[in-house]
Amino acid sequence: MKNSCSSVSPLIERYFDRQATDEERALVERHLPVCTTCSEKLMALEGLKNALKAPVDEALQEETFPWVWEKIEKNIRMERKPSWWNLLRSWLDLSYLLRKRVWIPAVATAIVLALIISPFLFQKTPSYLEASVVEYVESDTHNVMVYDLETGQVTVIWLFEEPEEETFSS
Amino acid sequence: MNDKETELISRCQQGDQDALKEIFNQYHKKVYRIAYGVVRHREDALDVVQEVFIKLFRSIKNFKGKSAFYTYLYRLAMNTAIDHSRRGKKGTFFSLDEEGGFQPSDSPDKRPDQIVARKEVEEKVRWAIDQLPQDQKETLIYREIEELSYEEIAEATGCSVGTVMSRLHYGRKKLQVLLKDMVNPVRNSSGI
Repeated sequence: MKNSCSSVSPLIERYFDRQATDEERALVERHLPVCTTCSEKLMALEGLKNALKAPVDEALQEETFPWVWEKIEKNIRMERKPSWWNLLRSWLDLSYLLRKRVWIPAVATAIVLALIISPFLFQKTPSYLEASVVEYVESDTHNVMVYDLETGQVTVIWLFEEPEEETFSS
Repeated sequence: MNDKETELISRCQQGDQDALKEIFNQYHKKVYRIAYGVVRHREDALDVVQEVFIKLFRSIKNFKGKSAFYTYLYRLAMNTAIDHSRRGKKGTFFSLDEEGGFQPSDSPDKRPDQIVARKEVEEKVRWAIDQLPQDQKETLIYREIEELSYEEIAEATGCSVGTVMSRLHYGRKKLQVLLKDMVNPVRNSSGI
Protein backbone atom coordinates (compact mmCIF):
# COMPACT_ATOMS: atom_id res chain seq x y z
CA MET A 1 0.00 0.00 0.00
CA LYS A 2 1.26 3.48 -0.88
CA ASN A 3 2.21 5.84 1.92
CA SER A 4 0.44 8.85 0.43
CA CYS A 5 -2.39 11.14 1.58
CA SER A 6 -4.79 9.79 -1.03
CA SER A 7 -4.36 6.21 0.23
CA VAL A 8 -4.03 6.99 3.97
CA SER A 9 -6.70 9.67 4.36
CA PRO A 10 -9.65 7.25 3.93
CA LEU A 11 -8.12 5.06 6.65
CA ILE A 12 -7.85 7.82 9.26
CA GLU A 13 -11.36 7.34 10.65
CA ARG A 14 -11.00 3.57 10.89
CA TYR A 15 -7.62 4.05 12.53
CA PHE A 16 -9.12 6.52 14.98
CA ASP A 17 -11.99 4.13 15.76
CA ARG A 18 -9.51 1.26 16.29
CA GLN A 19 -11.20 -0.69 13.54
CA ALA A 20 -8.23 -0.72 11.13
CA THR A 21 -6.29 -3.89 10.36
CA ASP A 22 -2.69 -4.23 11.57
CA GLU A 23 -1.41 -3.41 8.10
CA GLU A 24 -3.62 -0.30 7.81
CA ARG A 25 -2.59 0.85 11.27
CA ALA A 26 1.10 0.53 10.46
CA LEU A 27 0.60 2.50 7.25
CA VAL A 28 -1.20 5.34 9.03
CA GLU A 29 1.39 5.49 11.80
CA ARG A 30 4.18 5.76 9.22
CA HIS A 31 2.31 8.51 7.38
CA LEU A 32 1.16 10.76 10.24
CA PRO A 33 4.58 12.17 11.31
CA VAL A 34 5.20 13.42 7.78
CA CYS A 35 1.71 14.75 6.90
CA THR A 36 0.20 17.81 8.61
CA THR A 37 -3.17 17.45 6.83
CA CYS A 38 -3.77 13.90 8.03
CA SER A 39 -2.47 14.75 11.53
CA GLU A 40 -4.93 17.64 11.74
CA LYS A 41 -7.70 15.38 10.50
CA LEU A 42 -6.92 13.00 13.33
CA MET A 43 -6.79 15.83 15.86
CA ALA A 44 -10.18 17.10 14.68
CA LEU A 45 -11.64 13.62 15.24
CA GLU A 46 -10.17 13.58 18.75
CA GLY A 47 -11.50 17.08 19.44
CA LEU A 48 -15.00 16.07 18.39
CA LYS A 49 -14.93 12.91 20.44
CA ASN A 50 -13.76 14.89 23.45
CA ALA A 51 -16.52 17.47 23.01
CA LEU A 52 -19.15 14.73 22.92
CA LYS A 53 -17.77 12.29 25.46
CA ALA A 54 -15.97 14.27 28.18
CA PRO A 55 -19.12 15.93 29.62
CA VAL A 56 -20.86 12.54 29.69
CA ASP A 57 -17.96 10.94 31.56
CA GLU A 58 -17.88 13.84 33.99
CA ALA A 59 -21.64 13.74 34.60
CA LEU A 60 -21.54 9.99 35.17
CA GLN A 61 -18.66 10.29 37.59
CA GLU A 62 -20.61 12.76 39.71
CA GLU A 63 -23.97 11.01 39.40
CA THR A 64 -25.41 9.26 42.44
CA PHE A 65 -28.69 8.07 40.81
CA PRO A 66 -30.83 9.30 43.69
CA TRP A 67 -33.95 7.18 44.20
CA VAL A 68 -33.96 6.02 40.59
CA TRP A 69 -34.48 2.33 41.36
CA GLU A 70 -37.06 3.19 44.04
CA LYS A 71 -39.03 5.25 41.52
CA ILE A 72 -38.91 2.42 38.97
CA GLU A 73 -40.07 -0.07 41.58
CA LYS A 74 -42.90 2.19 42.71
CA ASN A 75 -44.03 2.74 39.15
CA ILE A 76 -44.12 -0.98 38.43
CA ARG A 77 -46.02 -1.64 41.67
CA MET A 78 -48.58 1.02 40.76
CA GLU A 79 -49.04 -0.55 37.33
CA ARG A 80 -49.59 -3.96 38.86
CA LYS A 81 -52.14 -2.73 41.42
CA PRO A 82 -55.54 -2.92 39.73
CA SER A 83 -57.62 0.24 39.80
CA TRP A 84 -61.16 0.24 41.27
CA TRP A 85 -62.51 0.33 37.71
CA ASN A 86 -60.56 -2.78 36.75
CA LEU A 87 -61.70 -4.49 39.93
CA LEU A 88 -65.31 -3.66 39.06
CA ARG A 89 -64.83 -4.91 35.53
CA SER A 90 -63.35 -8.16 36.78
CA TRP A 91 -66.37 -8.63 39.01
CA LEU A 92 -68.71 -7.98 36.11
CA ASP A 93 -66.71 -9.99 33.67
CA LEU A 94 -68.87 -12.79 32.29
CA SER A 95 -66.26 -14.17 29.95
CA TYR A 96 -65.26 -16.82 32.48
CA LEU A 97 -68.80 -18.08 32.70
CA LEU A 98 -69.22 -17.99 28.94
CA ARG A 99 -65.98 -19.90 28.49
CA LYS A 100 -67.13 -22.58 30.93
CA ARG A 101 -70.55 -22.99 29.19
CA VAL A 102 -72.32 -22.64 32.52
CA TRP A 103 -74.76 -20.30 30.79
CA ILE A 104 -76.68 -23.17 29.14
CA PRO A 105 -78.13 -24.67 32.36
CA ALA A 106 -78.34 -21.16 33.85
CA VAL A 107 -80.54 -19.90 31.02
CA ALA A 108 -82.66 -23.10 31.11
CA THR A 109 -83.25 -22.69 34.85
CA ALA A 110 -84.21 -19.03 34.36
CA ILE A 111 -86.78 -19.97 31.68
CA VAL A 112 -88.37 -22.67 33.86
CA LEU A 113 -88.59 -20.27 36.81
CA ALA A 114 -90.15 -17.61 34.60
CA LEU A 115 -92.79 -20.04 33.37
CA ILE A 116 -93.68 -21.06 36.92
CA ILE A 117 -93.85 -17.52 38.26
CA SER A 118 -95.52 -15.74 35.33
CA PRO A 119 -99.17 -16.83 36.02
CA PHE A 120 -98.90 -15.33 39.47
CA LEU A 121 -97.25 -12.19 38.22
CA PHE A 122 -99.73 -11.45 35.44
CA GLN A 123 -102.98 -12.60 37.15
CA LYS A 124 -105.79 -9.99 36.91
CA THR A 125 -107.24 -8.73 40.16
CA PRO A 126 -110.21 -6.48 39.28
CA SER A 127 -110.80 -3.89 41.95
CA TYR A 128 -114.43 -3.30 41.04
CA LEU A 129 -117.16 -4.83 38.96
CA GLU A 130 -117.28 -3.27 35.58
CA ALA A 131 -120.76 -2.62 34.24
CA SER A 132 -122.25 -1.13 31.13
CA VAL A 133 -125.46 0.71 30.65
CA VAL A 134 -127.84 -1.27 28.55
CA GLU A 135 -130.80 1.07 28.62
CA TYR A 136 -131.66 4.52 29.94
CA VAL A 137 -135.21 5.66 30.15
CA GLU A 138 -136.21 9.19 31.08
CA SER A 139 -139.62 10.42 32.15
CA ASP A 140 -140.92 13.61 33.77
CA THR A 141 -140.76 12.23 37.27
CA HIS A 142 -138.35 9.26 37.21
CA ASN A 143 -135.31 7.97 35.39
CA VAL A 144 -134.53 4.28 34.88
CA MET A 145 -131.10 2.84 34.15
CA VAL A 146 -130.60 -0.84 33.33
CA TYR A 147 -127.04 -2.19 33.87
CA ASP A 148 -125.59 -5.48 32.84
CA LEU A 149 -122.68 -6.57 35.00
CA GLU A 150 -119.61 -7.79 33.17
CA THR A 151 -120.32 -11.41 33.83
CA GLY A 152 -123.73 -11.08 32.16
CA GLN A 153 -125.34 -13.04 34.93
CA VAL A 154 -126.79 -10.10 36.88
CA THR A 155 -128.91 -7.21 35.60
CA VAL A 156 -129.39 -4.14 37.75
CA ILE A 157 -132.33 -1.84 37.25
CA TRP A 158 -131.89 1.55 38.90
CA LEU A 159 -134.95 3.72 39.35
CA PHE A 160 -134.38 7.23 40.64
CA GLU A 161 -136.13 10.54 40.80
CA GLU A 162 -134.86 13.49 38.82
CA PRO A 163 -133.54 16.16 41.13
CA GLU A 164 -135.84 19.11 41.53
CA GLU A 165 -133.30 21.72 40.64
CA GLU A 166 -132.50 19.94 37.41
CA THR A 167 -136.19 19.78 36.63
CA PHE A 168 -136.37 23.30 37.58
CA SER A 169 -133.48 24.34 35.44
CA SER A 170 -134.64 22.45 32.40
CA MET B 1 -25.19 -13.79 26.33
CA ASN B 2 -23.96 -15.87 29.27
CA ASP B 3 -26.03 -18.31 31.32
CA LYS B 4 -26.48 -15.92 34.22
CA GLU B 5 -27.82 -13.21 31.95
CA THR B 6 -30.12 -15.68 30.19
CA GLU B 7 -31.51 -16.74 33.56
CA LEU B 8 -31.94 -13.12 34.67
CA ILE B 9 -33.82 -12.27 31.50
CA SER B 10 -35.99 -15.35 31.83
CA ARG B 11 -36.87 -14.44 35.43
CA CYS B 12 -37.59 -10.87 34.40
CA GLN B 13 -39.87 -12.14 31.61
CA GLN B 14 -41.86 -13.95 34.29
CA GLY B 15 -42.34 -10.68 36.19
CA ASP B 16 -39.57 -11.07 38.78
CA GLN B 17 -38.70 -7.57 40.01
CA ASP B 18 -35.51 -8.73 41.74
CA ALA B 19 -34.22 -9.87 38.36
CA LEU B 20 -35.01 -6.43 36.93
CA LYS B 21 -33.09 -4.88 39.81
CA GLU B 22 -30.05 -6.98 38.94
CA ILE B 23 -30.31 -5.93 35.30
CA PHE B 24 -30.66 -2.31 36.48
CA ASN B 25 -27.53 -2.59 38.64
CA GLN B 26 -25.62 -4.05 35.73
CA TYR B 27 -26.71 -1.60 33.01
CA HIS B 28 -27.98 1.66 34.51
CA LYS B 29 -24.69 3.50 33.97
CA LYS B 30 -24.52 2.49 30.31
CA VAL B 31 -28.13 3.55 29.80
CA TYR B 32 -27.34 6.85 31.53
CA ARG B 33 -24.40 7.47 29.20
CA ILE B 34 -26.60 7.01 26.14
CA ALA B 35 -29.38 9.11 27.67
CA TYR B 36 -27.02 11.91 28.68
CA GLY B 37 -25.33 11.74 25.28
CA VAL B 38 -28.67 12.61 23.66
CA VAL B 39 -30.41 14.92 26.14
CA ARG B 40 -27.33 16.61 27.65
CA HIS B 41 -29.10 17.35 30.89
CA ARG B 42 -28.79 15.53 34.17
CA GLU B 43 -32.42 15.40 35.25
CA ASP B 44 -33.65 14.53 31.79
CA ALA B 45 -31.07 11.73 31.62
CA LEU B 46 -32.27 10.37 34.97
CA ASP B 47 -35.87 10.50 33.73
CA VAL B 48 -34.82 8.56 30.65
CA VAL B 49 -33.04 5.89 32.74
CA GLN B 50 -36.19 5.46 34.81
CA GLU B 51 -38.41 5.27 31.73
CA VAL B 52 -36.11 2.78 29.99
CA PHE B 53 -36.21 0.24 32.82
CA ILE B 54 -39.97 0.55 33.22
CA LYS B 55 -40.37 0.01 29.47
CA LEU B 56 -37.93 -2.89 29.63
CA PHE B 57 -40.00 -4.60 32.32
CA ARG B 58 -43.14 -4.17 30.20
CA SER B 59 -41.58 -5.26 26.92
CA ILE B 60 -38.99 -7.86 27.89
CA LYS B 61 -41.46 -10.62 27.01
CA ASN B 62 -40.88 -9.61 23.38
CA PHE B 63 -37.14 -10.23 23.65
CA LYS B 64 -36.53 -13.54 21.90
CA GLY B 65 -32.75 -13.66 22.31
CA LYS B 66 -32.04 -13.39 18.58
CA SER B 67 -29.70 -10.45 19.21
CA ALA B 68 -27.50 -9.62 22.19
CA PHE B 69 -29.47 -8.32 25.16
CA TYR B 70 -27.38 -5.16 25.48
CA THR B 71 -28.18 -4.15 21.88
CA TYR B 72 -31.88 -4.60 22.69
CA LEU B 73 -31.48 -2.44 25.79
CA TYR B 74 -29.34 0.18 24.02
CA ARG B 75 -31.92 0.48 21.26
CA LEU B 76 -34.63 0.99 23.88
CA ALA B 77 -32.46 3.58 25.64
CA MET B 78 -31.63 5.42 22.42
CA ASN B 79 -35.25 5.56 21.24
CA THR B 80 -36.48 6.69 24.65
CA ALA B 81 -33.79 9.38 24.88
CA ILE B 82 -34.51 10.68 21.38
CA ASP B 83 -38.27 10.76 22.10
CA HIS B 84 -37.56 12.58 25.36
CA SER B 85 -35.35 15.07 23.56
CA ARG B 86 -38.05 15.67 20.94
CA ARG B 87 -40.63 16.35 23.62
CA GLY B 88 -38.23 19.10 24.73
CA LYS B 89 -38.50 18.54 28.46
CA LYS B 90 -36.50 20.99 30.58
CA GLY B 91 -33.76 21.63 28.07
CA THR B 92 -32.63 25.17 28.75
CA PHE B 93 -29.58 25.42 30.89
CA PHE B 94 -28.85 29.07 31.09
CA SER B 95 -30.77 29.89 34.23
CA LEU B 96 -28.44 29.25 37.13
CA ASP B 97 -31.14 30.11 39.66
CA GLU B 98 -33.54 27.53 38.32
CA GLU B 99 -31.17 24.76 37.44
CA GLY B 100 -27.98 25.42 39.34
CA GLY B 101 -28.88 23.51 42.44
CA PHE B 102 -29.72 20.30 40.60
CA GLN B 103 -26.72 19.88 38.37
CA PRO B 104 -24.07 17.40 39.47
CA SER B 105 -21.44 19.82 38.30
CA ASP B 106 -22.65 22.39 40.75
CA SER B 107 -20.50 21.10 43.52
CA PRO B 108 -19.16 23.73 45.92
CA ASP B 109 -15.69 23.58 44.40
CA LYS B 110 -16.99 24.93 41.08
CA ARG B 111 -17.43 28.62 40.49
CA PRO B 112 -20.72 29.93 39.04
CA ASP B 113 -18.96 31.10 35.87
CA GLN B 114 -17.61 27.57 35.35
CA ILE B 115 -21.08 26.15 35.83
CA VAL B 116 -22.56 28.57 33.32
CA ALA B 117 -19.76 27.87 30.84
CA ARG B 118 -20.32 24.15 31.08
CA LYS B 119 -24.04 24.52 30.60
CA GLU B 120 -23.49 26.68 27.56
CA VAL B 121 -21.17 24.06 26.07
CA GLU B 122 -23.70 21.31 26.77
CA GLU B 123 -26.47 23.35 25.20
CA LYS B 124 -24.41 23.94 22.08
CA VAL B 125 -23.47 20.25 21.77
CA ARG B 126 -27.10 19.26 22.17
CA TRP B 127 -28.17 21.80 19.56
CA ALA B 128 -25.54 20.45 17.15
CA ILE B 129 -26.51 16.82 17.74
CA ASP B 130 -30.16 17.72 17.17
CA GLN B 131 -29.23 19.01 13.70
CA LEU B 132 -28.20 15.51 12.62
CA PRO B 133 -30.56 12.99 11.05
CA GLN B 134 -31.59 10.36 13.59
CA ASP B 135 -29.50 7.55 12.08
CA GLN B 136 -26.31 9.63 12.17
CA LYS B 137 -27.10 10.82 15.68
CA GLU B 138 -27.56 7.26 16.97
CA THR B 139 -24.43 6.00 15.24
CA LEU B 140 -22.27 8.81 16.59
CA ILE B 141 -23.47 8.38 20.14
CA TYR B 142 -22.95 4.62 20.04
CA ARG B 143 -19.43 5.14 18.71
CA GLU B 144 -18.16 8.27 20.43
CA ILE B 145 -19.79 7.85 23.83
CA GLU B 146 -20.44 4.14 24.27
CA GLU B 147 -17.49 3.16 22.05
CA LEU B 148 -19.25 0.25 20.39
CA SER B 149 -17.47 -1.42 17.50
CA TYR B 150 -18.77 -1.01 13.95
CA GLU B 151 -20.24 -4.53 14.13
CA GLU B 152 -22.01 -3.81 17.43
CA ILE B 153 -23.44 -0.56 16.07
CA ALA B 154 -24.59 -2.41 12.96
CA GLU B 155 -26.42 -4.93 15.17
CA ALA B 156 -27.97 -2.25 17.38
CA THR B 157 -29.18 -0.17 14.45
CA GLY B 158 -30.01 -3.04 12.10
CA CYS B 159 -27.81 -1.96 9.21
CA SER B 160 -24.55 -3.02 7.54
CA VAL B 161 -21.04 -2.11 8.73
CA GLY B 162 -20.58 -0.07 5.54
CA THR B 163 -23.66 1.99 6.41
CA VAL B 164 -22.30 2.53 9.92
CA MET B 165 -19.03 3.87 8.53
CA SER B 166 -20.83 6.13 6.12
CA ARG B 167 -23.14 7.51 8.82
CA LEU B 168 -20.17 8.11 11.11
CA HIS B 169 -18.26 9.93 8.39
CA TYR B 170 -21.09 12.28 7.40
CA GLY B 171 -22.23 12.82 10.99
CA ARG B 172 -18.72 13.76 12.09
CA LYS B 173 -18.25 16.08 9.13
CA LYS B 174 -21.42 17.94 9.96
CA LEU B 175 -20.65 18.18 13.68
CA GLN B 176 -17.13 19.40 12.99
CA VAL B 177 -18.63 22.31 11.09
CA LEU B 178 -21.32 23.03 13.68
CA LEU B 179 -18.91 22.78 16.61
CA LYS B 180 -15.78 24.13 14.96
CA ASP B 181 -15.01 26.46 17.90
CA MET B 182 -14.97 23.53 20.30
CA VAL B 183 -13.50 20.86 18.07
CA ASN B 184 -10.53 22.80 16.81
CA PRO B 185 -9.80 25.53 19.40
CA VAL B 186 -6.11 25.87 18.62
CA ARG B 187 -6.75 26.54 14.96
CA ASN B 188 -9.59 28.91 15.72
CA SER B 189 -7.72 30.97 18.30
CA SER B 190 -4.79 31.41 15.93
CA GLY B 191 -7.19 32.94 13.43
CA ILE B 192 -6.58 30.44 10.62
